[in-house]
Amino acid sequence: MALFGSSSATAEASSPSTSQEIKASLIRQVQEEAAMSNARSLIGKVNEHCFDACVPTPGSSLTAKESTCLSQCMEKYIGFWNASSRAYIARVSKESKSLGGADLSGVSL
Amino acid sequence: MDTQTQLDIAKLNDADRKELTQYLANEAQKSNIQQTVHGLADICWKKCITGKISSGRLDHSEEACAQNCVERWMDTNFAVLKHLETLRGQ
Repeated sequence: MALFGSSSATAEASSPSTSQEIKASLIRQVQEEAAMSNARSLIGKVNEHCFDACVPTPGSSLTAKESTCLSQCMEKYIGFWNASSRAYIARVSKESKSLGGADLSGVSL
Repeated sequence: MDTQTQLDIAKLNDADRKELTQYLANEAQKSNIQQTVHGLADICWKKCITGKISSGRLDHSEEACAQNCVERWMDTNFAVLKHLETLRGQ
């Protein structure tokens, strides 16, 4: 999972003018936005679930134990996300094969 | 985000335009799948990770639970659609 995509620290040398450059620039922008949106969804969910799991009774500050729990929870959530993703993609390709390789894009899941 | 340079889309030639259309369709599908997985991980985390978190690693039973949860969620999806189909025929 590419969390943040490639960081685009490199400023554009000149504004793209050829068809090739415009295409490349558009693709890069879309990639960045997709990676950012994916990261935002993930971070939101990690926050929600790990706050639930690790900070049952919020005190005046995070304890060391809570901090450790949060780090572990975050790593576990990412692992869990990847396992869910593998299971989902495996099932979807299995189903699409049994439908004779029908187009998946029309199936709303 | 960074300051977006104004792009003159009119300068795209037909081949690049076609390639971009295909690229965007692929990205949209990828993004859809990712959003579904975000939803699934959310639902299944609630069912599978109920105890105290004592390690950052996903253990075997948790991984198996994730897989079963996703599979049964898909089964549920199909079962609902199937039953809806019979209701419509009545």
